[in-house]
Amino acid sequence: MAQGHAVKRYTGLLDWLTTVDHKKIGILYLLAGGLFFLIGGFEAILIRIQLMDPDNTYFVGATFNALTTMHGTTMIFFAAMPIIFGFMNAIVPLQIGARDVAYPFVNALGFWLFFFGGLLMNLSWILNYFGATGVPDAGWTGYAPLSSAHSESIGGVDFYVLGLQVAGIGTLIGGINFLVTIINMRAPGMSYMRMPLFTWASFITSALILFAFPAITVGLVLLMFDRLFDANFFDVVDGGNPVIWEHIFWIFGHPEVYILILPGFGIISEIVSVFSRKVLFGYSTMVFATILIGFLGFMVWVHHMFTVGLGFTANALFAIATMLIAIPTGVKIFNWLFTMWGGQISFTTANLFATGFIPTFVMGGVTGVLLAVPSADFQFHDSYFVVAHFHYVIVGGLVLGFFAGLYYWWPKLFGTMLNETLGKIQFWTFFIGFHLTFFVQHFLGLLGMPRRVFTYEKGVGMELGNYISTLGAFLMGISTLILIYNIVVTTIKNKRVGADPWDGRTLEWAISSPAPEYNFAQTPLVRGLDALWHEKTADDGDGKMKPAEPLGEIHMPSPSWLPIAMSFGLFVSGFGFMYRHYEIAIIGIVITLVCMFLRSVYDDHGFHISVEEVCETEGIEVPKSKAEEAHS
Amino acid sequence: MAGNKAGSTRNYWLTFAVSIALTVITFYIVAKLDTSGNFLIPFMIVLAIAQALFQLIFWMHMNEKGHLMPIIGIATGAFVALTAVIMALYWVW
Repeated sequence: MAQGHAVKRYTGLLDWLTTVDHKKIGILYLLAGGLFFLIGGFEAILIRIQLMDPDNTYFVGATFNALTTMHGTTMIFFAAMPIIFGFMNAIVPLQIGARDVAYPFVNALGFWLFFFGGLLMNLSWILNYFGATGVPDAGWTGYAPLSSAHSESIGGVDFYVLGLQVAGIGTLIGGINFLVTIINMRAPGMSYMRMPLFTWASFITSALILFAFPAITVGLVLLMFDRLFDANFFDVVDGGNPVIWEHIFWIFGHPEVYILILPGFGIISEIVSVFSRKVLFGYSTMVFATILIGFLGFMVWVHHMFTVGLGFTANALFAIATMLIAIPTGVKIFNWLFTMWGGQISFTTANLFATGFIPTFVMGGVTGVLLAVPSADFQFHDSYFVVAHFHYVIVGGLVLGFFAGLYYWWPKLFGTMLNETLGKIQFWTFFIGFHLTFFVQHFLGLLGMPRRVFTYEKGVGMELGNYISTLGAFLMGISTLILIYNIVVTTIKNKRVGADPWDGRTLEWAISSPAPEYNFAQTPLVRGLDALWHEKTADDGDGKMKPAEPLGEIHMPSPSWLPIAMSFGLFVSGFGFMYRHYEIAIIGIVITLVCMFLRSVYDDHGFHISVEEVCETEGIEVPKSKAEEAHS
Repeated sequence: MAGNKAGSTRNYWLTFAVSIALTVITFYIVAKLDTSGNFLIPFMIVLAIAQALFQLIFWMHMNEKGHLMPIIGIATGAFVALTAVIMALYWVW
């Protein structure tokens, strides 16, 4: 079949700006998420510098509030979420034997919406010097009425409201995309109960995104109307109710915690299994534990609000629901341990991070159960105990999981291998730095040190703890610099590794590294759990995937400028709303609508990669029948 | 999907008629019967649920094979949305 139209294939920077290839979008997500991770980390170090000694005056009052707010919001929404999507994009289609995600265009749109949303919010730091209204400083939870219109001094929350709305659309469509992809695009034989655990975790995470993000979208719209259009949802004086915001935020916010941690669990499950050279212990219980955590995650949001005064019945019910989550989580912990037990464990950097994850996450889980006891929570609430708890869960869980995944999948992403020695140095600096920073914070919290307060007094026993905590934060900063150095060195050396450097178990290791544009020359036939391992070990296996279809032309989606333009329109309109220049807001929305119109009106049927090109990329001979077809 | 019982023309006409009837009943009791909201609102909610089920089962083919994922999705979404609505109605206010 000849091409229906000229194939638009860009190169260089233009290729990256217009790409709809899930692997490139994955790398874009990781890059942008990594950038925001550095910004958020820098803010964290500034916070720790302020708190290093009592009565410091580097960042006081609103500046400190802005630092904590921007650190939290950036880390959750613009670092953790995109890095999750980065791994999902880069790996999930490969693990299920698909050529791309279900909606490649929507995938690109999701990335650019997130990117412009994050840019919008973080520009507040710079624009603050050019007469903007300030930096968001109402906490990452944005509690009303602190964040709503009636507090004059907090104009910067507009950046939070608008940035998160733009990014939130991107996250929502990303989640829908992965649900559809995993349900519909699995290779023949890849039943649900043969999906790798990371794919399962991505699946449940996507479902949580689908059901949780509408809540925050509604909340942000209400907050936007309060701030921009003088509506009144949250101000008590005019008959509003600030508790609504807390409910809406946490109906989203608690599932968000599991949106963050489940992919971490998935990554750890893959790595522990591969580096123990054993099948994952209790695969089906792992799957059901993941589903159960996702389900229970929607029924525990009030444990963030025990001190609001909702009554003891409510508090007791939500306390029990919260403690229930410890059960499926415990199942996972024991399954990882049993997977390692009796395995041939090799402590590569990836596996070091994975094994470091397990005890660290357990500690975060244990303080979580302590916080789930309402009467105890009245003591812990808003103290550094809470800060220690959620950093143990998110940094000790998610960030260690990310680093593990980065070292594990780097060969698949780029075809090179990160330096293992540097990697191990990075692990130990990060691991020690992390525990130095946050372990002492438990005790600072029990001594009564409150969150989000920029100083503390001398002589109440908090000097040493805070000093140690800041030193630990520096160590984590150094560790991140080592990672960057490692990435730069690896990229410059550019020493290529083979398709399967870890002796992997799952489908992504069956294709070359980095994966070709079309992933699988022939859709693979999946014959068991750990599809590739099955082919390596089964009597009739030869270590290669059996094809499920003959070699043929491969249909690919075309690159497009529309996703970036569409997102840019919303970015512009965000600024229009913020500065109350509605004509600019309208211009921005018109840009977006025109792009949507163009997308709807002009059909783009994509293009085909010919059999010859596929064979050339794969380094195999063109099959005779196909060669004859091409000549006739 | 063709040729199964839910897809027959007679069934479509029947469910169409039932849907219309449910709508007419709702309008009628609001317009003509002078009952209190205590009866009216729960009654209308029940009719609305019946209506929604008819739509889902007969018009959106939820009773046919291969619809497990949509059913799980819709049920979970309804569960989460109802939790939020009930919370807002009976707890916050």
